[in-house]
Amino acid sequence: MNGAAFGSARQFASGASALADLLRRAVVEVRSGEHGSGTGVIWGGSGLIVTNAHCAPRGAPLAVDDNGRWCAARAIAYHPRHDLALLAAPGVSGPLLDLRDAASLRPGEMVFAHGHPLGVRDALAMGVVHGIGRDPGTDEPRWIVADVRLAPGNSGGPLVDAEGRLVGINSMVVNGLGVAVPANLVRQFVERALARRAA
Amino acid sequence: MSPTKSGSALAELSSQIAGAADAAARAVVAIHARRRIPSSGVVWRDGVVVSASHTVRRDDGISVTLPTGESASATIAGRDPATDLVALRLNGAKSPGPSKTDPSGVRVGALVLAVGRPGRDVSASFGIISAIGEGWRTWQGARVDRVLRLDLAVYDGFSGGALVDASGMVIGVNNSALARGTPMALPALTVDRVLDELLERGHVRRAFLGIAVHPVALGAATVQRHRLPRDTGLVVMSVGDGSPAETGGIAVGDVLIETNGQPLRRPTDLLDALSAVRDGASLSLTYLRGGAVKTVTVTPVDREAGGSAE
Repeated sequence: MNGAAFGSARQFASGASALADLLRRAVVEVRSGEHGSGTGVIWGGSGLIVTNAHCAPRGAPLAVDDNGRWCAARAIAYHPRHDLALLAAPGVSGPLLDLRDAASLRPGEMVFAHGHPLGVRDALAMGVVHGIGRDPGTDEPRWIVADVRLAPGNSGGPLVDAEGRLVGINSMVVNGLGVAVPANLVRQFVERALARRAA
Repeated sequence: MSPTKSGSALAELSSQIAGAADAAARAVVAIHARRRIPSSGVVWRDGVVVSASHTVRRDDGISVTLPTGESASATIAGRDPATDLVALRLNGAKSPGPSKTDPSGVRVGALVLAVGRPGRDVSASFGIISAIGEGWRTWQGARVDRVLRLDLAVYDGFSGGALVDASGMVIGVNNSALARGTPMALPALTVDRVLDELLERGHVRRAFLGIAVHPVALGAATVQRHRLPRDTGLVVMSVGDGSPAETGGIAVGDVLIETNGQPLRRPTDLLDALSAVRDGASLSLTYLRGGAVKTVTVTPVDREAGGSAE
């Protein structure tokens, strides 16, 4: 086989595995009592985790697994309309992910989803941006639709671009396409939740 | 987090793929001819759009949203139910440039994008060509010289959209109805050939005999008596009134065993023989009737003109 012919494919593969390494450190598994598990993104470097509201039901005992170490976590805010929850998990830390505005995404751009689908730890899925669902009133991005293969357990996990910037939180599967909440909405939610607590 | 060196190669590839989607999107339109979600179409030639026929549910009052966001009315130039292609002519309005096609990108394993426009915005999914079917027959009976089987996600508006290679060239028209839900694409050369016929006469010519057949086993005694090389044939179940078969003397109950010297074991053998018949040419049919072997010459007609027989 001619090695040169696969040069760009190999470069691509090593780029994808570098992304997987980064994301493995940036996510946790979220367990809620008997309700099964989902994925969470470590927010702001340490102590906070963003996940889907449906992965952290109100009142359920929560635990997060930070690379083999189970820690208790506590939900401190919910946004039911965007299916988001903010958890406090002291002692959990990970890399700080840059955020990317969904408005700058182009259909066809590559995106990667990381999570624990069907109990498989740290699975990376690849796809492209399919389209952006907009709010009919404000025309602001409400959903990022991508042709990544997601399964239960991916919920709450990160959707990142080819440079590892967080573009959204994977929330559901519609007609076989992955749907994520844009990172801007997640940031707004976290900032408001923290401001409320500080006040 | 700083992007690693290989990470920037990834970013470059991502940007190239998004660029390919963007380039192809300039020839991908939305067709409003069904309820709820519009279907996708590709501007294939100047002022001519191709799409998947099953997604264009109306024949009148069709409007098309161009990539610029402008709207144009369109009329149907022809449909080919067998390949599920439809050709539309854009009326008036300045149409976008036709898509650039390039058949050389068609290889198993090649990275491809499906680009559709199920509304105002363009949408894309990504995958590879997983197989190339040669001499493939659709469930409607048409033999397609080539069909591309795709490994990518199917979404609303997939059918009728463009299959695009990594450089943004259109290499086919997508369709999820040719093989009941499997993502497929008809390659550009096939689309060109069908489009030529649709624009010229509104339909694709298909040789037509006017009979329905079913495979049957022949008795050992019959096979021995006539020294037949095989023991299956096609029994004629119906003959259309005024059809070429009736004119040639074929009757219900005849068992067809050969055409032009080729054995007839399955109904598709007969379809293959018919698709090889040139316009106005005839073919011979050898059949069994009342224990005797007979041969007739029949001249198939164009299916669209051939009336209503089966």
